[in-house]
Amino acid sequence: MEPISIAMITDFFHPNVGGVENHVYMLSANLIKRGHKVIVITHSHAPDRVGIRWLFPSLKVYYLPFVPIASSATLPNFFTFLPYLRTILIREHIHLIHAHASLSSLGHEGILHSHLLGIRTVFTDHSLFGFEDAASILTNKLLAGTLRNADAVICVSHTGRENTVLRGELVDESGRVRENVYVIPNALVPEHFRPDPPKSSDTVTIVVVSRLAYRKGIDLLIATAPRICNAFPNVRFVVGGDGPKLIDLLQMREELNLQDRIKLLGSIRPNDVRSVLTQGAIFLNTSLTESFGIAILEAACAGLYVVSTRVGGVPEILPDDMISFAEPEEDDVFRAISEAIDIISSGRHDPLRAHEKIKTFYDWAQVAERTEVVYDTVVKSRQMELCERMKRTMGLGPFAGPIYLIILVVDCLFFLFLEWWIPRDDMDFVVNHWDHDRFVQCVEQEQGNNIR
Amino acid sequence: MPSVNFSNSRRQFKLPVIRMSSGNYHDKILWKRPQHSDSFISPGSFLSSLRKNPNFRPYTYWHLVSLSLSVTQHLAMIFIFISVFVRLKERTLDPRLLVWIASTCFILGYVTWQVLDCLCKRPRQGHADRAKNVKSSILIFLSLMSLSPVLRTLTAATSSDSIWALSASLFMLNAVLADYSSSVTLYGPVNERLTSVLSMNAAISSSVVLASRLPDDPAVFALILFSVQAFALFPILRRRLQTCTVVFRAVFTWCLSLAAIILTMPLSQSVAWLYTVVLSFVSLVAPAVLVWAQKYKNEIRGSWDVAVPRVNES
Repeated sequence: MEPISIAMITDFFHPNVGGVENHVYMLSANLIKRGHKVIVITHSHAPDRVGIRWLFPSLKVYYLPFVPIASSATLPNFFTFLPYLRTILIREHIHLIHAHASLSSLGHEGILHSHLLGIRTVFTDHSLFGFEDAASILTNKLLAGTLRNADAVICVSHTGRENTVLRGELVDESGRVRENVYVIPNALVPEHFRPDPPKSSDTVTIVVVSRLAYRKGIDLLIATAPRICNAFPNVRFVVGGDGPKLIDLLQMREELNLQDRIKLLGSIRPNDVRSVLTQGAIFLNTSLTESFGIAILEAACAGLYVVSTRVGGVPEILPDDMISFAEPEEDDVFRAISEAIDIISSGRHDPLRAHEKIKTFYDWAQVAERTEVVYDTVVKSRQMELCERMKRTMGLGPFAGPIYLIILVVDCLFFLFLEWWIPRDDMDFVVNHWDHDRFVQCVEQEQGNNIR
Repeated sequence: MPSVNFSNSRRQFKLPVIRMSSGNYHDKILWKRPQHSDSFISPGSFLSSLRKNPNFRPYTYWHLVSLSLSVTQHLAMIFIFISVFVRLKERTLDPRLLVWIASTCFILGYVTWQVLDCLCKRPRQGHADRAKNVKSSILIFLSLMSLSPVLRTLTAATSSDSIWALSASLFMLNAVLADYSSSVTLYGPVNERLTSVLSMNAAISSSVVLASRLPDDPAVFALILFSVQAFALFPILRRRLQTCTVVFRAVFTWCLSLAAIILTMPLSQSVAWLYTVVLSFVSLVAPAVLVWAQKYKNEIRGSWDVAVPRVNES
């Protein structure tokens, strides 16, 4: 496809660390590799990360002066983002925006505003949500309102797609699922998770790397770890991560005198994950909900055999010979770990082969290529008229419909006001993008000067 | 392409559990590049794990009516209290008579409590406990008596409009937060919820602000004593009464409601009719509305829900 300019909009980005942050960065880097121009728009971070920064390789990041309210998400306010967004999108000659994560209000607002500039929209949903509590009901309605007018939706797993289709009401009038809902998985950089050369030893180490919270099923870990230690004298645990359940884990270890069998590492930096993973032969994931489970993939890539609870999108990500599943019950987790220890002890799992296999499964270049197909379809598709947008928005329901319609109309009026207040003629357009050769030249020149 | 039915049709009511196609997981793999485009939806497996209303147990009308009895009792109690207050204020009720009635009710309630304890075969209270109870009731009695002049003038400076508004909202808070559950469920005895304490406080505060409108100290004392019985002690007894047979509770509720209406009738006919409507709505119409509304129940469950870990008890 022709190179285009893409703006990634999300609340979750570097310097924060996490699944979405990493996804956005890796996707952007690989799209740049394919010749596109990519910028990222996100909120500022205290104390001084505000304004425009460049990240390797030539990724321009706009840190807008918005203050996050909770877990790095900004407050949804629908309008204050427009002046910034309009200027940035016009300055950068953006063709398409790609919003990420359903709790990122910047992303939602980007989708709301960009049609005013004739810019196309893609949305990626990274997480799973239920339908029962008040918070889910509200955020789901917000998502449905946003996705009404998005040109394409990408989900990271099949389970995620089912969830997003139901939450975002992505069905047309006849009840069929809309055709612009895609599944494109996450990926990882296999080189970062190379297994260690095999070492012969009788001990089997089980590694857990997870936030120690209820949703990660730490209760199951606390219940099964002592049973495993009892049943298999040659097994030890290494647990990396921090969180509210750490106390329970420490208490269990203290009570049962398992200090020499269960090692708690506390929180670990992303760069150290590999060194923790390669200490073990089995990776245990006891999550109670998981949209994709990138941690499992990283572990499998580092040559570990995986034991996981059968939740969310986890069953989709690995073939059966690399993973054992358990229901989220103490007895079943115990059974699955026992099986895994048996597989490891009898040498039926080859770490290097597993690594090579993962390399062929997941690749960011492939993800970027598949995303590009989505972009291409979107850019070539017909754009909705404002009238059609309004009609679709009204279809949201007797209460939400009119509210969203008012927001849409006020947004249009605000946009017209901005066109008058900050005319396009007065703007500074971006003419030069990052030129790597020029950068190298400058660096060499500078070095030459220093030597002299 | 599979279709998803979002409409809340009647069919769902008849078929509470709808399993979509059985589907297999082979269509749902991410580690192999799909042969179809990324937007292809496999008709066999899409939403294969979706379950609708999996834990659905339809309510029956009479069961709901029996559960609503305690709400009716509570409302009737508030109505009785209001009519007693009006009578005290207009001096048509002798405060001393009210004190006697309240004391008799207290003794009756205490006896009922003891009888229920015997029937439920709970660990019987010893004499020491009973002595303690008597001591604390006398203490409350005396302290209320000594406090009544203070309570009478506490909010005397506030205008009557504010007092009516304040006490109305406090009574609403009281009715909303009250604990209408039973003291014993299938899973054993349950403690009161925190909100029931808030509820009691709201009602007592309400009677304290109302007390400032009364003409003399004995009336204030009688009203506060009555409010302690009606809003602090009666809810505890009511929770215990929940364990009795439905017939007894129905008769008791009927008596209370009738008392509320008869006491209000001479004061204002229109208010009495309003009470009748409210009480019959709560105990007869509201359950019917809930039963009718069940057909709109549409609970969606699937693999995206947070699983509940099952840990063996040690």
